Amino acid sequence: MRNMEPDQNGAEVPVIELRHVEKHYGDLHVLKDINLRVGKGEVVVIIGPSGSGKSTLCRTINRMETIDAGEILIEGVPLPVEGRELAQLRAQVGMVFQSFNLFSHRTILDNVTLGPTDVLHVPKKEAREEAMRLLARVGVESQAHKVPAQLSGGQQQRVAIARSLAMHPKAILFDEPTSALDPEMIGEVLSVMTELAGEGMTMLVVTHEMNFARRVADRVIFMDAGSIVEENTPDAFFSHPKSQRAKDFLDSIQNH
Amino acid sequence: MSDARTNVRDALYEPPGPRTRRITAAATGISLAGIGVLAALVVRRFAVAGQLDAKYWALFTKGTTWLYLGKGLVGTLRAAAMAGVITFAMGFLMMILRISRLRAARAVGTALVEFTRGVPTLLFIYFFFLVVPQLGVAMPAFWKITLPVAISASGIVAEVLRSGVNAVPKGQREAALSLGMRESSVFLKVVFPQAIRFCIPALISELVIVLKDTTFAYVVTFPDLMQNAKVLISNYDSLLAVYLVVAVIYIFINYLLNRLSDFAAKRRDRGLVVKTG
Amino acid sequence: MSISQLLSEFGSQYAEALFTTWKLTALSFSLAFVIGVAVTVMRVSPVRPLRIAGEIYVQIFRNIPGAALLILLVYAFPYLNIVWSYFTCVLIAASLIPAAFCSEYLMAGINTIPVGQIEAARSIGMTFVQTISKVVIPQSLRSSVLPLTNLLVATMLTTALASQVPLKPRDLTGLVAHINTHAVGGVTAFFISAMLYCGTAVVIGQVGNLIDKRVRILR
Repeated sequence: MRNMEPDQNGAEVPVIELRHVEKHYGDLHVLKDINLRVGKGEVVVIIGPSGSGKSTLCRTINRMETIDAGEILIEGVPLPVEGRELAQLRAQVGMVFQSFNLFSHRTILDNVTLGPTDVLHVPKKEAREEAMRLLARVGVESQAHKVPAQLSGGQQQRVAIARSLAMHPKAILFDEPTSALDPEMIGEVLSVMTELAGEGMTMLVVTHEMNFARRVADRVIFMDAGSIVEENTPDAFFSHPKSQRAKDFLDSIQNH
Repeated sequence: MSDARTNVRDALYEPPGPRTRRITAAATGISLAGIGVLAALVVRRFAVAGQLDAKYWALFTKGTTWLYLGKGLVGTLRAAAMAGVITFAMGFLMMILRISRLRAARAVGTALVEFTRGVPTLLFIYFFFLVVPQLGVAMPAFWKITLPVAISASGIVAEVLRSGVNAVPKGQREAALSLGMRESSVFLKVVFPQAIRFCIPALISELVIVLKDTTFAYVVTFPDLMQNAKVLISNYDSLLAVYLVVAVIYIFINYLLNRLSDFAAKRRDRGLVVKTG
Repeated sequence: MSISQLLSEFGSQYAEALFTTWKLTALSFSLAFVIGVAVTVMRVSPVRPLRIAGEIYVQIFRNIPGAALLILLVYAFPYLNIVWSYFTCVLIAASLIPAAFCSEYLMAGINTIPVGQIEAARSIGMTFVQTISKVVIPQSLRSSVLPLTNLLVATMLTTALASQVPLKPRDLTGLVAHINTHAVGGVTAFFISAMLYCGTAVVIGQVGNLIDKRVRILR
């Protein structure tokens, strides 16, 4: 496990930090006093039953969801609340969605170049070359001139990962990236993610893929009913869950 | 967890920060002021032209005025209802032609749909008003307005019905055929009733078009709302006020019909909506 | 009257009438589109009074009969000391009503965009303006091609209102009324106009289908 404790001099600032984050949907308390740090190059996997708030937590980090109280810091800088500042920060934090969300009116290549050209103002030619490299890396370069609807879900999700990578993000948030995929396509997306993790990308992954968590995570966070219940190394968590809720959860998924 | 917002219009905006809130508040103030100024200018226009004088509006305090407008409205509704029935029958026949297995029938159906959809109602009205009498056919004013209005709307009704028929799952037809039902009774008893349920909102909207088109009844001097308004105007010398009131009545009725259509659409879609997340 | 008789006597008037109908249609549709876009912007804006004003506009003009609007403009507005030419009145009536439907179609187009794509645009750092101009508008315009094609035909049909005022030169409907009140044009006079309308509508429909095929978004 890589070191992510900042020392007193602030030499090692976490890439993502949440302090006492609270959120409500009406009467529903979806995030309760969430404290979380993700260090550089770290892979943190959040698991928990559906409705536990794990997806919401992931989405607060680039302000897809607002929070009611607490603080979110990206490399020690508080998350801006609006406007150009917020947009600039989002450009530095990638996000991969459950439903891919590729721009359906643009080609695969355009999907990957749009951010670099329009947000980072990279010259078109350069952006295209880099996009082709990234598409090759995720194994869909032959589809570059098709539109999203012509690709399988697994291919679309890999394009979505390439779209994130094109922005050279400091971290990537994965919000249940394989939940909308047919079983035979889950592997291809997870292997791209595993490669990324191996290359030192900082990742926060919300997922139901326990094997991925076991193999790739540096740390597993278990959430239930809006709270972080347990936080441990994958080995320790999966073999010796401390809380009853985590035990119940692991039992319930193993029965499937 | 999926987002609670389903409407794209609302999804366009993120929860506002303090700066956005300030800008929105300012824009709200400015636009309110703008709308206020606009309204004031309109009222002033009326006042300067003397159109706010009581003499122009006094007729609306009389029961007879409303009774007379009401009679006209009954004429409008009668014409619209009859045109609606006829257009439905015509639309149904044209739809049958359009989905026929015979190529010639399909061609005739397509030609009829294109023809009725591509020609303005007024042209059909002039046909019944000017050409039909030349052919030696004497026709009451009621039919001179309802027939052209019905013809004009029939092509769209045919297409609406056809889309309804297409929306019925194929399995329904196959299941009915497997029970040994005849092709024609499968269509009339299984497919079409479901298609109609699907089409009801669009058919109600179509009624709005029919009702709007009956406004041309004055061309053939059929006593509808518009025609009776003309009589009121010559009696009371209050053109602007009467036409404004009549326009509002039309807008209100059509608004109600559109609401009914939306309501029917919601009822139809209820149960079909699958919640995700 | 036979076709040849009619055409030799009224041929140039038919040509003129067709041109008038086309001109009115093109002008009205352009105006309707501009107004429709403006009203749609109001309706999707975060400013409540503008939203309400936009909604009111749409409810008024999608529900008012064309004849009622034209009569107001031609006969009632002069009482407010507003006098426009017949042509202007027809143009305004044939623009304001389609504009309401235009806005409805654009709103429907906006609603076809998956919300997730708006979030995706934000997540790669697009500002509000970029999200609107790169994702929302292109997608809603592309999925509005067929409705807007139908609207163009509907606008053409609305311009037949021109026959209700003494417009010179006449439009296709006005000409039929004219021929049949001054001569015995019979069915033929009617059919020539009808075919010219219909032909235009079919061509518009075909072009619309072609454009739609090229720009339609696969989902």
